[in-house]
Amino acid sequence: MDEFGMGSKNLYSKYGPARNPFRPDDTVGTENYDYSPGGSSGGSGAAVAAGMCRVALGSDTGGSVRLPGAWCGIVGYKPTYGRISRYGLVPYGSSLDTVGIMARTVEDVHSTFKAICIPDHRDMTCMSESLRKRINDMAKSRPWVNKLYEVSPGQSLKIKQPLKGMRIGIPRECWVEELSEPALESWKAGARRLADLGCEIVAVSLPHLPYSLPTYYTIALAEASSNLARYDGIRYGWRSSEKPDDLHNCNASNKYANTRSEGFGIEVQRRILLGTYVLSAQTCEQYYIPSQKIRRLIQQDFDSVFALPNALHAESASAKSRLLTRRPAGVDALLFPTSTNTARLLESKGKNQAAGYVNDVMTVPANLAGIPAISVPAGEKNGMPLGLQLSAQYGDDELLLQIASHLQQ
Amino acid sequence: MTLRAIQGIRHIRVLPLAPVVATAVTGTGRIASARERGSQYLHSAAIIGYKPKAGLHLRGRCSYSTSTNTSNTNSAEWKTTIGLELHVQLTAAQKLFSTASAKWDDSPNTNINMADAGLPGSLPRLNPQCVELAARAILGLNGQVQPMTSFDRKHYFYSDQPLGYQITQQLHPIGRGGFIELGPGDGFQYTKKVRIHQLQLEQDTAKSIHGVYPGYVLTDLNRAGVALIEIVSEPDLDTAEEASCFVRKMQTLLRHIGVSNCNMEEGSIRCDVNVSVYQKGNDRLSGTRCELKNLNSLKVIRGAINAEVARQIDLISKGQVVEQETRGFDARGNKTFLVRSKEAAPDYRYIADPDIPAIRISNGWVNKVRSTLPELPEATRARLQVQYGLVQEDVETMINEPGCVQFFEQSANGRDPKRVSSWITSEIFGQLSYRTQNLTDNPLTVVQFCDLLDALASDSITSAQAKQLLINFMDGDRRSAQELIQEHGWIIMDDQAQLNDLVSKILDEHPKEVAGYLKGQKRRLNFFVGKAMEETKGQARPQDISRIVKQLIDARSK
Repeated sequence: MDEFGMGSKNLYSKYGPARNPFRPDDTVGTENYDYSPGGSSGGSGAAVAAGMCRVALGSDTGGSVRLPGAWCGIVGYKPTYGRISRYGLVPYGSSLDTVGIMARTVEDVHSTFKAICIPDHRDMTCMSESLRKRINDMAKSRPWVNKLYEVSPGQSLKIKQPLKGMRIGIPRECWVEELSEPALESWKAGARRLADLGCEIVAVSLPHLPYSLPTYYTIALAEASSNLARYDGIRYGWRSSEKPDDLHNCNASNKYANTRSEGFGIEVQRRILLGTYVLSAQTCEQYYIPSQKIRRLIQQDFDSVFALPNALHAESASAKSRLLTRRPAGVDALLFPTSTNTARLLESKGKNQAAGYVNDVMTVPANLAGIPAISVPAGEKNGMPLGLQLSAQYGDDELLLQIASHLQQ
Repeated sequence: MTLRAIQGIRHIRVLPLAPVVATAVTGTGRIASARERGSQYLHSAAIIGYKPKAGLHLRGRCSYSTSTNTSNTNSAEWKTTIGLELHVQLTAAQKLFSTASAKWDDSPNTNINMADAGLPGSLPRLNPQCVELAARAILGLNGQVQPMTSFDRKHYFYSDQPLGYQITQQLHPIGRGGFIELGPGDGFQYTKKVRIHQLQLEQDTAKSIHGVYPGYVLTDLNRAGVALIEIVSEPDLDTAEEASCFVRKMQTLLRHIGVSNCNMEEGSIRCDVNVSVYQKGNDRLSGTRCELKNLNSLKVIRGAINAEVARQIDLISKGQVVEQETRGFDARGNKTFLVRSKEAAPDYRYIADPDIPAIRISNGWVNKVRSTLPELPEATRARLQVQYGLVQEDVETMINEPGCVQFFEQSANGRDPKRVSSWITSEIFGQLSYRTQNLTDNPLTVVQFCDLLDALASDSITSAQAKQLLINFMDGDRRSAQELIQEHGWIIMDDQAQLNDLVSKILDEHPKEVAGYLKGQKRRLNFFVGKAMEETKGQARPQDISRIVKQLIDARSK
């Protein structure tokens, strides 16, 4: 993995990069076959794709489980923020970090999820028992969704339209300029497949989505600069053997500088510096505060398109009764690509490091809103896998996995 | 220590007592050891000594009547504005965000867990007991517990900050508002309310130990993460005495409601002061303020404020500018010194802590906490004055001693409250000071005290004997008053004929003093009474002796 979860290509590791088990058809017979498995949980993705293991865990802060899922041709699942405890997860962006699951099938992902998705009082952001129950009650108050569960797993294969009644949204803001042809084709094919399965396909708008990439990077890097402040070499970890310039200078920053400069990789240092910058007194009002406000707007965008109310805001009793009486206008899930293109080369030719950040454009919105999202394999181009993403309302993990398992087949 | 207390025990010298260090109390409340003032103190009018134990607050109030140190600050031209920030350690068993024990004075680095050491993957977990203690403090100060409160991270690198940030409350503190009232009961000629700006929960830092290994700073994480409340006052204070009194009253209040030990020596309360000066007629916030840190006693707080005020006035008078700085106080040189200028002040890069969701506090919970609070000092004060007719001085003395008000009320049941309070504030407190104990540490019970008072009131023992009885009880004697009176063999010398003979003998033996008395030196009476008490080993009533002496001398003059 990229160290501290920072990277989209699994390039930044003291142990060397992980390599994508796939390589393009037209590179067979050449030396040119070091392709990235995606990042930051690229190692997990490569291991699953290569058949080394059945299931692997990763951490998804801005797409770090879903991107490897797409680029390695496997399932990469990011649950709702708070479903799985973060206790024990090395923190990067605490309000975005989610433990993710990777496997070759949605079924394997689902069974793993059921095993580890439990309340944990050691993590204050982990969903409490009562919140889980409230979400469950509300989710089960959708008569059009409950119809899906009435069909037993064995039977569903025989039914022509097992997803009849589902409404899938296509966010128009995901149709970005950087989207490659193969990714676009895969997206359209996915929509057609869901329609064949009985879904109603509608266009939706998430007006603030174009701001999600800079918003994500501002917030994630700010939180990272905070979470990584503890690595000073005093109580554990690498400690520089160099003496600081001034032994008697009580300014601890000088003493820590050598340890941290030696111990952190170049990408981590880059992100810490940027994160510190956006939080500093002069620039906080310019970058960090507006980013948090935009984040709220993005989250409200999602709330406005989904049929299921957000359990964190909705008054459950009245929300439940409304669902039971009449089906609301919104969608049950969203469909959009995971990545703008297939896997890139490990070593990028461009000098601009920040250009790599654009790989996350499709995946970061789900982290910003805390909603669940899953990438399933959806076609290939030149032998390199493509992935399609499904996303659902906060807490609606069960339905998302249900739809995803049908899409994968 | 009040002078009344000293006078009240002047008769104890005649009875067998453990050797004492005789001391005297100077006008400003400072205790001077007799050894300093020469051994002549150990004569018949010796005063029983007090040795305030480190950690015990001085009994009674300090007299602020001599304001020699502050003559500059409240002169007609210059005024002072003072605001305080108090950091108070809570008496919770565990830390604020970790389940480790909050006993920070155990063996170094034993009361820690992964969250305190900042190990990656550890997460904070809010301790509800700390929230309750903070709520108690807020209610005790008449403040408002906020319905929503949240936590923020304050970043800086230092060896005593294992996470690289402190979890504190910058944006939404748990408490706002409230006040502490200063008034005549505290030695002021006026009444004023010093308002509280806010009260917030935050983590304490680890302890850094310098100078043990040269070139190294040792870090003890036991204290890292212990719960503190930071209490920020509005800049309503005008003098060093007000500031010091405010801190003392805060200590009393917080101890009373069980929130903290509030002990400056052990560091369970720490005080930072913000001081600025302004010329009369200007806005009280118009001066540039400086922050004074590391002030570890009330006396140092007063000294530091006065020194800083003098410095600022001096600068401005010379036409210079007061820079906003953080300063420390050198007690020996009696001046403040620069610690950190404004430019070097760190940028803390506050963010809302993403690991800790916002906390909602319901009215019902606040009311439940309020119902568990003991009676607050103002209510007690009012009640004692109205119900029992006590003087303010005695009321303050008793309120400041934990458990004393209860002790008083139980003893005063059916007895003269003024006499009871007098005995408590003079005799009992005098004994406690000598033993360097608190009332709650001493084995004296209400029942014993009441028996003593009753025996005295019914004239079965003299006051000197009662004082001896008190000493027996406070030494730990569990026998009843009756048993002790029997054992001592105290029978009051009542025989008028015997007393007459005794006094006659004394008058015969001291013709010079008799002559002096007849010439008009009436204070010679004390001499005769004193001699008679010696002869009777305190078993006669002084008032009888006094009466007889007067009778016999008058008879002789004829």
